[in-house]
Amino acid sequence: MNDTKKTRQLILFILVPLLIMFASLFLGRYPVDLGTVIEILWCKITFQPCTAAEISQTLVWDIRLPRVILGALVGGCLAISGAAFQGLFRNPLVSSGILGVSSGAGFGAALAIILFNYLPTTYIFAFVFGVLAVVFSYLIGRIYSSTPTIMLVLGGVIVSSVFSALISMLKYMADPLNELPAIVFWLMGSLASARFQDIWTAGVPMLIGTLGLLAVRWRINVLSMGDREAHTLGINTVVNKGFIIACATLATAGAVCVSGIIGWVGLIIPHIGRMLVGNDNRVLIPVSFSLGASFLIMVDDLGRLLTGSEIPLGILTALLGAPFFVYLLKKTKGGGW
Amino acid sequence: MSSLLQVQEVSFQYPGALILEQVGFSLNKGEIFCLLGPNGCGKTTLLDCILGWLKPHKGKISLNGTDIGNMSAKTLARQLAYVPQSHERTFPYRVREMVLMGRASYLGPMNSPSGEDMAIADEALKMVGISHLKNRPYTQLSGGEGQLVMVARALAQRSPLVVMDEPTAHLDYKHEMVILETIVDLVKQTGLSVLMATHIPNHCYYFENNGIPTRVGLLKDRHFMGIGRPCEVLTDENLGRLYNVQARIISCDLENGRQLRQVVPISTINRSKNNQGVKN
Repeated sequence: MNDTKKTRQLILFILVPLLIMFASLFLGRYPVDLGTVIEILWCKITFQPCTAAEISQTLVWDIRLPRVILGALVGGCLAISGAAFQGLFRNPLVSSGILGVSSGAGFGAALAIILFNYLPTTYIFAFVFGVLAVVFSYLIGRIYSSTPTIMLVLGGVIVSSVFSALISMLKYMADPLNELPAIVFWLMGSLASARFQDIWTAGVPMLIGTLGLLAVRWRINVLSMGDREAHTLGINTVVNKGFIIACATLATAGAVCVSGIIGWVGLIIPHIGRMLVGNDNRVLIPVSFSLGASFLIMVDDLGRLLTGSEIPLGILTALLGAPFFVYLLKKTKGGGW
Repeated sequence: MSSLLQVQEVSFQYPGALILEQVGFSLNKGEIFCLLGPNGCGKTTLLDCILGWLKPHKGKISLNGTDIGNMSAKTLARQLAYVPQSHERTFPYRVREMVLMGRASYLGPMNSPSGEDMAIADEALKMVGISHLKNRPYTQLSGGEGQLVMVARALAQRSPLVVMDEPTAHLDYKHEMVILETIVDLVKQTGLSVLMATHIPNHCYYFENNGIPTRVGLLKDRHFMGIGRPCEVLTDENLGRLYNVQARIISCDLENGRQLRQVVPISTINRSKNNQGVKN
């Protein structure tokens, strides 16, 4: 690949999600025209008084914008962690939830809904239990002194199934009129409650995780050679694996705690990236973030436009992602698999 | 000649099974040391100890005088590179991306390979003669080409010693020769040292026939039963004891005054006892 093509690609993968984000500000039941949107953005950023209608201001700045930003962060984080885990576990079928972060977070959220029914505590519980689940998986993986990949995966499977059982138990115990629907909706994933304060809180772990993964992305190539080869290539496998797992967990737990469980993005977006730009994680990791962000914002747009009430994200990501993936498979002939 | 690698009285055991008992040898610069021995004799375990992947329970392994127990993976990788017996292929990385991974020990945790690393990778590809493959996904290569990629990756590490674990296993007749020729060229041209586990005694003779300082260690029942030059150690008698195989060493003189030696296996020993009448 020559340099001009590389630069063009880079610009494309930065511009496309930004354009999609901008376009999404217009979409919705209440129409807002281009001039008004730009005016609102401009005067809010520069802290000037705004002349646009109060309702347009609230819609664009307080509802649509945080939702779009959060959608981009969540989609990007799920995809980037999925790509990192696929490399780390040397398995293309692995997704961001492999070490139990999703089921842990699901349990935390369900527990908070039953105990408090107050949104901020739901976020905190989901985040804490998501991280805890990964810590358990990691400790199981460390039963042997090093962390063999297969033991980590096994740990993840064990922890996930325990938390899934606990989620079922909570659903069974929940009040069927209020709590049960809340739990079920949370587990299906949504960005509907997104506000700026969510970005400030959940955005911190998401950004830290993402930046960490971006920093060490080339090392994921080396780790995907397997432990013994990575060691002889000069990499401390235990430290590097631990760091990548920590970053991917922060990013995923941050995403899941505000959005609920959104499947499919962390599995399939990295593969779309592989088909488009190849398997070198130097390129694949950032591209996965860009693709995940674009994909989730578009899916969220459809979710709120298609019908009168919102369709949960977890449903749409699979329904839309699957045919698109098959189309890409056919078009790129699988990209070397 | 100074010794590059020194293995002194190394013992290793898995729970309930002693694999190596007070094993020792040394390897000099520009030399090929071949490990021969039956399946399960501990060749791979010994290599794993030398790679720093397993820790010996007793004994000391030193590279250039430094105990490898005190070396980080990074320092070790600059001294010694590894060509695995069979590499499990996962993602279809391009050949050049594979070879670039050999530069990991020279890069900080946040760095990616630079233009200089790229040049070193390209040179390594050239040395093993597969520059034309550099943009191919390595998962689509044949077994022989794939093994050459592994050799190129080891060369990109720029280490004085390369450890190879049965590098010609599963390769066809021609590609086995290609790997052996590549090793001979590298040792002659760059003064590389090679430690190689193999199942084929003729490999040791091949190196010796090509005028490379070669020694061989015969590993059996946790010990070396002999270490020395192939023409001294690889005798009919020793091969019989090592593998329970009756074999003959055949030699002929070449035009350039060198001797060409080869091992020809005849039969397993138990079988030859039963069939005393076979002519040989």
